[in-house]
Amino acid sequence: MSGDEKVRVMVVDDHPVWRDGVRADLEASGRVEVVAEAADGGDAIERAREAMPELVLMDLNLPTVPGVEAIRRIVEESPHVKVLVLSASAEEADVLEAVKVGASGYLLKSATAAELVDAVVRVRAGEPTFSPSLAALVLGEFRRMSGTTEPGLTARETEVLRLVAKGYTYKEIADQLFLSTKTVQNHVQNILTKLQLSRRYELMRYAIRRGLDRS
Amino acid sequence: MRKAARGSSEAERGRAVLSLGILAFRWVSLGWMVILALTAGELRRPALAVATIAGLAAWTGWLTVARPRPTWPVLACDLALAVGLNLVAGLVMPAGTVGERPFFAAGYPVAAAVTWGAARGVGGGVAAGLVLGASLVAGQLANGIDLASSEPAVLLDLAGGTLNFVLAGGAVGLVARLLERSAGQLRQATEETIRARERAARLAERESLGRQIHDSVLQALALVHKRGRELAAGGPVPPDQVAGLAEMAAGQERALRSLILRDPADDGTPAGAASLRAALEGLAGAERSLPVTAGATGALWLPARHVEELVAAVRQALDNVVEHAGATRVALFAEEDAGVVVLTVRDDGRGFRYDERQLLAQGKIGLAKSIKGRVEQLGGTMAVTSRPGAGTEVELRVPIREDERDR
Repeated sequence: MSGDEKVRVMVVDDHPVWRDGVRADLEASGRVEVVAEAADGGDAIERAREAMPELVLMDLNLPTVPGVEAIRRIVEESPHVKVLVLSASAEEADVLEAVKVGASGYLLKSATAAELVDAVVRVRAGEPTFSPSLAALVLGEFRRMSGTTEPGLTARETEVLRLVAKGYTYKEIADQLFLSTKTVQNHVQNILTKLQLSRRYELMRYAIRRGLDRS
Repeated sequence: MRKAARGSSEAERGRAVLSLGILAFRWVSLGWMVILALTAGELRRPALAVATIAGLAAWTGWLTVARPRPTWPVLACDLALAVGLNLVAGLVMPAGTVGERPFFAAGYPVAAAVTWGAARGVGGGVAAGLVLGASLVAGQLANGIDLASSEPAVLLDLAGGTLNFVLAGGAVGLVARLLERSAGQLRQATEETIRARERAARLAERESLGRQIHDSVLQALALVHKRGRELAAGGPVPPDQVAGLAEMAAGQERALRSLILRDPADDGTPAGAASLRAALEGLAGAERSLPVTAGATGALWLPARHVEELVAAVRQALDNVVEHAGATRVALFAEEDAGVVVLTVRDDGRGFRYDERQLLAQGKIGLAKSIKGRVEQLGGTMAVTSRPGAGTEVELRVPIREDERDR
């Protein structure tokens, strides 16, 4: 699925020791090449432009430009770049926000080296990597948003998301729902798109509210 | 917003009571006017008197039914009618009798002064009172009284009438303003109390967090720091020492993570609430024999006792998976749906044919029964879905009361 080419990765974290450790873990696998490192959000946006990584592995807690904003800018400038969030604490609001602006998935820093490499390879291959815990968060988010004007999930999408949250693989979900694995992946992609769309609605509503308050 | 609404609704209610009182006063004085007209016997212009009473009744009826807001047109119309009434009184009462016998206009014009006071404050009430006083003078003139040659008593009576209007309008204006101001103060006081309480809660939370971090995490960090230096300086180090260090760091990491996700109000007392998600994450992080993930649709704050029982039940289910299922991974998932918490323990193991009666007969159901017992104690249910080769899903459903959860 990943081919023979190594995944070109940029590592963004403000702790040099942590960056070194991640680089060592990734390169030891032989499937990943770390082409750049950045220590803060502003740096990350700039280096992503120069080094042209395929995937950015980043923390959310960053100096200068916050992680979420950096992700938004990186994805805006080069939509083909995938972003994987590697965060120390699963602060639900931050993680959801990162996914809404374009991150393809997130891992806790407590993940093992093997899990990390696996996630990097899968995200590069275009597989939306919803970890079970992220799927649970997203399900909760859509439930909280329900009743507003955002595009809600279809019954089938909710079903898929719940199965991902229960730890089923796409293949297992496909078998259980009598679908192809590709269709399940499409459902997951649509869920992601709706989540990103919901952020735009949020911003729009916010702007309208601010505008009305001022008048 | 709700706090603000509470204050202004207080003022709203006060105004409603006041305007009802004024309406009642209008009807009473209208009735009194009719009695006076019927008993006077010798009115100069009976037709005008009847028309006036009918007109006033219609106006009062409209005020009662439509309950219009006191806009300027409504107020102006009301005052004009009151002025007209004072004038008409002079015209219909026997010549020269105004001030000597019960006055035809009765108290009705007072209602106009009072309405102005209620709507426009002291200034409005006093202004309307002065206008009405002037119309009293006009009424006396219309009654054919020569004010220039009148006795002082007549003039005093006139001044007294004017004073009545001014005082009534001004006093009600004052009451209306006080009502508004105290509603505003109530609103402000409520907001300040709530802000102060929030501030105190935040401070207490920060303090308790600081204490807990100080006690455990900082201490562990210092130890990691110190041992790390020693390891770097010294030559060969026994691997178990390094492993011990890593284990300690991992333990603190888990503790800190669940601290971040914990309800600040929960001090471990059974009365407090606890986050089911944090508890499940703690369980997943502590499991050593196979990878366990934990997720939830939110923090899921539940009564601490519910969380304890559910964690104990999941713990047993996990042990069962480790021992019998031959699974490579387990996922814990909790969601809250319409007042019910649904917790799933799902493994990708070999699965089995779940038939409660058959398992019971074979004496193999001990563990499932114990999990079931815990859940049923909380008023919940347990369901097991499994097929050979397709893993096992244990679903625990526990109802929670609306006021006991966060989201």
